[in-house]
This record gives sequence, structure tokens and C-alpha cells, in this order.
Amino acid sequence: MSARSRGLTLRGLWERRGLSLAVLVVTVVSVATSALGPIFAEAAGTALVRGVLNQAAPEGRGWRITARDADVSPLADRFRSGAAFLGTPVNGAELPGRDPRGGVVRPVIYQDDVCAHLVLVKGRCPANGGEVIASQASRLDAGKVVRVAGLAVAPAPGEVIAARAELAPLRVVGVYRPRDINDPYWFGGNLFAQTAGSSESKADPLFTVEETRRATQATVQWTHWSIVSIDPTKITAADLPRLEELTAAAPRLGLAQAPVITLSRVPDTMLEVRAQTGTLGVPALLVIAQLVALGWLLLYLTVSDLVAARAPEIALARLRGQGRLRVWRFALAEPVLLLALALAAGLALGMRLAQVVAAALLPGQVALALPPAGVLAGAAVPLGGLVAAVIAARGMAVRPVTEEWRRTPRRRARGWVIDAIVLSLTALGLVELLAAGVITQTSGQTSAALAVPGLLALGVALLACRVVPFLAGRLFRASRRAGGIGAFLALRQIARGRATAGSLIVLCTAFGMAVFATAAWDVTSANFERVARVHNGAAGVLELRAGSVAELRAAVEAADPGGRHAAPVIVMPGPPKMIATDPARFAHVADWAAARPGTDAARLTAGLAGPPGTPRLMVRGERIRLRIGPVKVPDKWEPTLFADFRVPGSTLVKSIPLGPIGPATMEWGLPPECRAATCELRALRAEVTVLDEVTTNASMFADVKRIEVRTGGRWREIDAGLTDRARWSGTASAGEDGLSLMIPLFGGAKAVPATFPRHLPALVNGPIDGELTPGLDQNFAAGHAVLGERAPLPGLSEPGAIVDLELADRAALGIAPEARFEVWVAAGRLEQVAAALKAQGHPVSPARTPDQLVSRYTTQGPGLALALMLAAALAAGALALGRAVLALYGAARRRGYELAALAATGAKPGELRAALLLEQLITLAAGTLNGAGAGLLAARVALPRVPEFATAPSTPPLLYEPSLGPVALVAGAALVVAFAAVALTAEALLRGIRADRLRQAQP
Amino acid sequence: MTAAVRCDGVVQIYKTRDLEIVALRDVDLVIAQGETVALLGPSGAGKSTLMWLMAGLLRPSAGRLRINGTDVSRLSPGALDRMRAADIGVVLQNPGRNLIPYATAAQNVAFAQRAARTDRRRAAALLDRVGLGGMRRRAGAMSGGEQQRLAVAVALANAPRLLLADEPTSQLDDDSGRAVIGLIEQAAEENGTTVVVVTHDAAVSRALGRTITIRDGKVGAEGRHGEEFVVVGREGGVQLPPEFHELLPPGSMARVEALPDGVALRRAES
Repeated sequence: MSARSRGLTLRGLWERRGLSLAVLVVTVVSVATSALGPIFAEAAGTALVRGVLNQAAPEGRGWRITARDADVSPLADRFRSGAAFLGTPVNGAELPGRDPRGGVVRPVIYQDDVCAHLVLVKGRCPANGGEVIASQASRLDAGKVVRVAGLAVAPAPGEVIAARAELAPLRVVGVYRPRDINDPYWFGGNLFAQTAGSSESKADPLFTVEETRRATQATVQWTHWSIVSIDPTKITAADLPRLEELTAAAPRLGLAQAPVITLSRVPDTMLEVRAQTGTLGVPALLVIAQLVALGWLLLYLTVSDLVAARAPEIALARLRGQGRLRVWRFALAEPVLLLALALAAGLALGMRLAQVVAAALLPGQVALALPPAGVLAGAAVPLGGLVAAVIAARGMAVRPVTEEWRRTPRRRARGWVIDAIVLSLTALGLVELLAAGVITQTSGQTSAALAVPGLLALGVALLACRVVPFLAGRLFRASRRAGGIGAFLALRQIARGRATAGSLIVLCTAFGMAVFATAAWDVTSANFERVARVHNGAAGVLELRAGSVAELRAAVEAADPGGRHAAPVIVMPGPPKMIATDPARFAHVADWAAARPGTDAARLTAGLAGPPGTPRLMVRGERIRLRIGPVKVPDKWEPTLFADFRVPGSTLVKSIPLGPIGPATMEWGLPPECRAATCELRALRAEVTVLDEVTTNASMFADVKRIEVRTGGRWREIDAGLTDRARWSGTASAGEDGLSLMIPLFGGAKAVPATFPRHLPALVNGPIDGELTPGLDQNFAAGHAVLGERAPLPGLSEPGAIVDLELADRAALGIAPEARFEVWVAAGRLEQVAAALKAQGHPVSPARTPDQLVSRYTTQGPGLALALMLAAALAAGALALGRAVLALYGAARRRGYELAALAATGAKPGELRAALLLEQLITLAAGTLNGAGAGLLAARVALPRVPEFATAPSTPPLLYEPSLGPVALVAGAALVVAFAAVALTAEALLRGIRADRLRQAQP
Repeated sequence: MTAAVRCDGVVQIYKTRDLEIVALRDVDLVIAQGETVALLGPSGAGKSTLMWLMAGLLRPSAGRLRINGTDVSRLSPGALDRMRAADIGVVLQNPGRNLIPYATAAQNVAFAQRAARTDRRRAAALLDRVGLGGMRRRAGAMSGGEQQRLAVAVALANAPRLLLADEPTSQLDDDSGRAVIGLIEQAAEENGTTVVVVTHDAAVSRALGRTITIRDGKVGAEGRHGEEFVVVGREGGVQLPPEFHELLPPGSMARVEALPDGVALRRAES
């Protein structure tokens, strides 16, 4: 382009500065919002990857490559070449030396930069061969010389290695203690057993430098290693393909001279990474594709306006005989220059927006980069403008140039082809969407379904831009007969359809998307909050390190004597999950409003405790003795009596044999655990051994008269309720003669203290396999009796049950290590209860609140994508509104001559004002309201199928009814802004309409 | 000598959505090189259509149109563009339509020269001739007279052999109109440019050597040296000038009487 042409292009842009600015703004914002998606998705992907890696154990984020007697560092260097996200390998080697006297293993190790990972208590780091540092726990002081079997003095050159070579002296130059044994630096080694208190077989290592290896003669093999770790601060989502390659290549690493072993759990981490980043893909694609499409539509119309405004000049170029190519170049110069400028500015703005959004939503600092997908998405938008420019320019370059100067341009009917294509795609997408479940994959199979919100909005827009002029035409006929000239003029203009069609399409589509995004955000936010409240269970949850149910109860009762602000809870992970709690407290504290709104929690939980329980048979001592009444043992039977105990620190029943049934007294030692702590007698069992073949199927009875426990050398009877019918169950009956066990030949007999019901009363939130809850002991032995309906319950994030803590404890054989001891706290009482627990000496972890869960959901893939969609769709809506107002203003301005003529023939300014206002109001309101309707329809159809959570919660069921408030706010705000803009532009137009304008040429 | 314009039975039909409009029907016309012609006629008679045909902006629906001996029907679009760039200058009715409003006078002339050969010296001389030499204002800010003079300069930018002007004085005051006509006459005299002007302005038609009146899409009459002639059409038809409609109203019957040098029409009494 010559300087003269460039100058003319710039002058032209200035001449049409309003339209040029509109194209620039629309393009910049559309490019920015479209590029924002991939940029943000990349950053979100990076944050997700880093999050997973940060939570992974060292073996989950690195490889330990080892080989005997062979240096693996070159292998590690080759492995990590080209992967900047891998840290510098940590190389080292270990010689499994032994203490020459005791035989305890005392490894000699050198590892890169070892002193930076130790606390040097005394002395200095080893610097020369033969120098070591020893651990504080090893009691080897600085200055001491140690020797280890396996490391001998190196033979002099030419000297033959002696069979029993002299051990190499190693001088201790410093004393260390480990800084952090979980430091990834120590990945793969179990080194500090002595420091941890176990020194029976392995002492802490002696750390040295590599020169020691060279200066000595090893009589056992050195094991060399290289630790290659992923640096979570450097890795990005773009590195995942390379990481996948490395993960696949790691097991195949090998050396010619020695076998190589690679230790890593990176593949497990990759599974988690893929699961996390995969959730981002679908919503991000949904958002990006629709924003690009919306950008296309906006730009298509705006750039068409710009090219149309140049029509007289393009006609002039053709009149002057300029060739086709030159005319094309002339026609496209302005839009192409604007689009190119806007692309660069839009990408820069997209980066800036992504920084702001990332800072607000993403955890940690993620450096943003402009990914190729971002450039593509950004560039796809101006492509829409370019297509518009080419189509419009082609129209002008091909149509007879004389058309430009006709007094009455020929009208061309709008075709149905594009409308039919869009409507067909919409129908296809709807069918796919309704036939499918939640969309979880991004293959082409569901592409139409993914595009449904946008297609639906566009389809409604296309229908509206035919229906509105049609209705206006009908009303226009009526307005000819009645009503003022204002309504007549407005309806006639709308009925013409040309000026209103573009504005209707763009407004309806953009507001359809904006309303859909608002509804999606509203629904998703509500689901986030509801799910978070239900899953958290209460306003605040504190985890406590309690050893027993009693300790937990005591802590809670001391912290909240009133019983309304805190509840003791033991959570057993599922599925099925089990929550054991104090029902009365739980009714006050748990968040019932989220789980079961309107429920009477006190009444609901009242049944959990069941009928009052009978006393438990607690025993503590050395021995147990049973007094048995006279027994008649059938011939060839050898019945044996056993006692089952619940013992502290175990979740398994501990049985002791009390001996063959027959003697009047049966005695045996209690389990060792019962000497120092209280145990519970859980059953008396009898089993029969048959000494020979028997033909009768008789049974026998044994009456237990008395149960005694010896403690400190004294026997003491325990209250076993042997005569109380209510206190025993099983194949035994209590009565006046004591506890009578009916012992059959087969199957044995069992008398169980009836301290808890066979089926624990439980509140249940859904179907549970086998109807068994895990129990506090995770033995899945307890059944449950369901109280009320199966519906969501506080604290249950998966199918499970809530049971009474006391009954759960009675039913269990112990507390499994998986149990979480928690204190649930009511709203507004968190600090008070936490302080009270601390005052009792309980270490209290930071409270878990629903807000934290909401924050986690928001920063997962679907949440991030929806936030992105809302921001971008609202921006697009604002652009569409601006574009529509501008287009209506432009259309009215082109009719200035006609309005001036009307003014000259006596039409009052008020009537002309009414005509302009009414025309623009009808167009804007029709576009906005149709868009709102399309958005709500799309929300109803598509929302249940668009993923909201990285892992969909099984409970509570998600709700998909958007509240009308935010939707009404968006549509209302759009209408208010539109009306204000319309009033201003109409006034500005009317000021320029004077009869003397008629002297000028008709534009 | 080759005629500048030769129309042989030219027919032009516009197609609209519902019907076809015959704008020109069997127009036969020859305009010699260097001739200056005024195309007269009522609005909608087909004058502008005939001018657009001569400019190569339309192709005749039927008949043959030769410009400087070249049959425009047989030219490719590119060749038509080249012909228009090199040989034809056009001045449109509205002065503003001829110009790029945000460009200066010099830029407008240069824009017209783009398609042929940029000749800054000629551009400057033309602007001097139309009294706009050194004018720095953008065309949109010029008066109507200045714009029309500039439009003539733009039309003459490539020294065309055929200059076509549509109502060049219709929106100008008398002085500006005279100036524009003077420029057109000057171009014809100095360069031998053939000039065809569509006009309603008697002053313009008087200034040009020949008048052709178009009525109902046909050449109805011609005037030379102040005298008006009817033209016998291809099928022997003639159009009576309106001033004779009182004697022979449209629809009346007449007898044709042969005379030694022609025929006489006499009203037949019914």
C-alpha cells in the first residue's frame, strides 16, 4: 500500500470514526473475551496440575533412578533433557556399610548438596575424601574416627587387594540432625531410623563426599541414584504431553553395564491430573466456541455496516475504471487495518483480563502465557469480520455500480437458507442434548449439543427478526386508521425490517447468551453453596485428636455445656459413609436448612438414640472366672466355652478359651490389654467338638451363675445381669437359674449382652448396598433401621447414614483408624467453641467451612469455565447493545432527509420524537426480551447436562431452576441502558432535523 | 472516421422483483468524434440510462453499442474497466457523488488517475484550469460550485476521449453553472473530446452543438443549429413533439400524405 493510499485509508477511518470506533471496540472486546478463554483455561489447567503435584507425595512427583555400581547421572540428564519443568537431578550413592562390631547397618552416603537439607549441630560439612558427618542420634562426636565394614583402604597402585583389607578410617567432621524427613530430597530412602528411635538394625547414615568413594576400596557395591523431580512452580498445562511421554519412558530407562530400577508413582499422579484437567475441557470448549461465534456475529454486522458506509466510494472507484483487484483492495483496506489493530489490542487486553481473573480465582501465582489456542480463538473473531468485509465488498464489487445511484434501491428479500441451516442445527443439537446425559467429553459427537445455548439464542433471534416486522406490519395497518403519526412512522419503519433485522439478531443472540450465562452462574452458585453446606454439615467443623468416644464427648460437653452450639461427631468414610453423633446436639448444630429445608430436626433425630440401653459389661483385671451350674454333657461331646472381648486399640474381637464345659468353675487369663485398660465382654460362646460319630442331634444346657474378674489379686463379681431377661440375647436366656446357654451339636451357642439393638436406628440419605453401615470399627457388621424418608442429610457427601454415637460405640468392636473425630459447631459459635477446646488442651485444626468448599468448587474446571462465560457473555451483551443502538441511530440518521421532509410538511417534533423513540424501543425491547426468553429456555434444556462439578456429587441432588432475580437484573439493566441510549440518540437526531436540510442533496 | 458513440437498436430493460421496465427501446444514434451533444427529455425518459450505457456501466439488453468503434457488449468486465479508465470521463448529477468527501482536490484527481496513469503535472494543470489550484480543503467542505468544477477536473483526469455529464449544472447557481459549461466546452475544443451532457438546462443545450431528445425510451427529436427535427425511427415511427399534440392529440387518427420531399400528417375527422 502506497503512502498516498495509506493516507487516504486513515482519512477514511477518521471520516467514519463512529463506525470505525465501533468496529475497533467490538473487535477488541470480542477478541479479548475469546482469547481470555484459552489463556485462562491454560492458566487454570496449570493451577490444577500444580495443585495435584503439590499434594502428591515425593514419589508422586518424581523418579528415583537407581543402579548398582554404575553412575546413573548421565541417564538422568538425558531423561530430563528438554523438560524445563524438571528440577536439577539430585545425584547420590550409598554403600551399605556395617558397624564392624555390632553388625548394625551404617550406610555411607554422598548426595548432592546434602548439608542444605540437614541441620548441622556441630562441626562442618565434609569437604574431602574420608570425611563424614554423623547424626546426633548416633552419638558419634566430631573428631572421632569411624570405620564401616565394606569400605576398605584403597590399595596402592600395583598392590593386590587383600582378602581382609584394612577398613578405611572415616573422620567425623560434623554432627547433624535431619531437617525434614518428608523433604522430597530424601525421596526413596528410609534413612533416619536411629533419629526416629529405632536403632536395632540400622543406624543413621554417615554423609560424605564423592571423593570418599574414589579414595577408598569398596568391598560391597555402591548403589547410585539420581532423583529427578517435577518442579510444581515451573510446570504448566502445556507441559502435560511431555510429562506423559516421560511417564511412559521412565520404566524403560536402562544402562548397558547394569540393570536400572526406576521408582516412581508419577503415573498415579497423572491419572489425577488427567481427571482434574479433563473437567476443564468440556465447559471451556463450550464457552470459547460460543463466544467466538457471538464475536463473529457482532463483527459480521458491524463490519458490514462499515463497508456499507463506504459504498459510494467503492462505486466511485468502479466508475473511474479501477480494476477488480484494486477495488477489492480499496474496499477491504479500512476493515482489514482496523481488524489487524484490534487483534493485537484484543490479545493484549485478553492477557490483562486473564491476569485479573486468574488473580481473583486461581490459587497460587500462575504466570500467564499466550497459548496458540488463545491466538487462534482471538484470531477467529476478526476472521468473522473479515468474512463480513469480503461478502459486503463482493456485493459492492459485483453488483451493477448504477444501483448505488438509484433513487429507490431495489429491495431484496431475505433468504431462508441460512435461517433453515441454523434452525436445523439447533434442532439437531437439542435432540442430541436431550438424548445425552451430562456432557463429559469433547469429541465431535456432541458438538451440536455443546452449541445448543448459542444456537438456540440465534434460532430465536432469526425467528424474531421475521416475526417482529410481520407483527409491526399488521399493527402498522391499524395505525394508519387510528393513532398518531408517531406510531404509524415507527411501525412502518419496523415493518420494513431491514434496519431492525440486524439489531434484533445481535441483541437477541447476545442477550440469550448473557441470560444463559447468568442463569448458569446463578444455578451453579446455588448448587455450589447447597452442596458445600450439605457436605460440610455445619457452619464450622473442627477436627479433634481424641482417642475415644468418651474423650470426644467430654471435650464437647465442656466446650458447650448448653448443648446447642457444638456436637460430637465421628465420621467413618464410605461408601456408605457413617456419621455417629449426639442426636440432640446434632439437631441444633447441623445445617438442616441446606439438606432438608423445613424439617423439624429435633423430631427427626429424636428416634436415633433408641430405647435406653442396658449396662455394658466392662472388665479390667488379670483373670476372669465363671461359675457354672451342674451340666449334663452328652456322650462323646466335648463342649468348650469362650469369652469374646472388645479390647482397646483393636477393632477385632479378642477371644479367650475358658475351657471344656463341665467343671463348676471356669477360669482363664483376660487378654493382656485388659490389665491396663477397660475391656468389654461382648459374648460368651460355646462350641462342641465331637469325639466320635454320633447319631443323635441332641443339645445341652450350661447355666452361667456368676461372672467374676480378678483385679490386684482379688476376685470381684461383675453385674452381668445373668438373671435379667432384657440384658442378654442370642441362643441364651437369662432367668432365675442364671444365664442358660442352649448348646446344640452344630452351630455353637452364643450369648450376647443386649447393650444395643440389632438394627441401629438411622437417618439415611439414599439406597445403601446391603443396608449395612461401616460401624465405628469398619467391620460392616451393623445393620440399620431407617427412620423417615431417604433424603439428603447434613455431612453426607455420598450415600450413608447418621446414627447415635452411643449406640454406634456399643455396636462397634473399637474405633477404626479411618475414623475422624470432629466437633461440629453452629453458626457464629466457631471461635467460642474452638477457644474452649483449646483451653482444655486439645490441639484444634483450622475449621472447615462451607465457604472453603465453595471456593474449591469455584476453582475447579467447570466453575472456572462458568465464571469465564459469565464475564465474557455479559461483555458481549453490552457490546451487542452498543452495536444495536449505533445501528438504529445510523438507520435513523440516514432517514434524516425523510424526517426533514415530514417536518416541512407539518409533522410536529413531538410526533417525530415519538416515532423515533417508539421504533427504537420496540426493536431493543424485542431483541432483549426475546434473548432473555431464549437464554432461559437454553438454561432449562442445557444446564442439567453441562457439568458443574469436577466430580458430580451423588448427594444432594442438584437443582436447575434459576432464580429470576439475576436474570431480571440483566434484562432490566439492559433495557434501562437501552432506553437511556435511545432517548439520547433520538434527541440528538431530532436536533439535526430542519426543513432547510431539504436543500441539500439526498444522501 | 469512427463514431465516438454508435447505438444500433439499443434496448435496455430493468428487471425488478415483479416486473420488467423497458427504459430504452430501439435507440439508434450516432455521435461523431469531437461532437458536443445535449441529451434532453423529461424525467424517466431514459437519458441517464443511455448515459450509463455509454459509460460502460451497463450492458445493453439488446442491440449494439459501440464506443470509439468498440462493441461494449463483447468486452470483458476488465476490458470495460480499462476502457472507462482510459477513454471515458463521467460527471454524476450530484456534485458530492463525484468526489471522496474527506480527500483534497488533488487526492480526488489522483484517485481518478489510479486506474490509468498517475500524472501529477496534468492533475495540477486541471486543478488550475478549474480554479482550484492550491486548494487544501477537503472536498466535502467545498461549495457546490467548487465541488462540481472539481468533479469536471476529476472526469478529465485521464484525458478521456468521451466526456459524459449528468445534469452538471442542476444544483448550481448561474455563475457556477456557466463556469462548468465553459470548462466542458474548453475540454471539447482543446482536446477534441466528445461531450455528451444530460440536461434540462436550456443554457447548457444552447452551448452544445447538438441536442437529442429522448422520449419514452426512444430518440424523439434532434436539434442542430437551433432547429428541431423529429427522427424517423427504425420501424418508420416518429414522435410528435409535445407542442403539436394540440393539433394531433395522442390517440387521434391522421392521414399520411406523400409530398415530394417527405410526408404530411393531417387529422382525420371521424
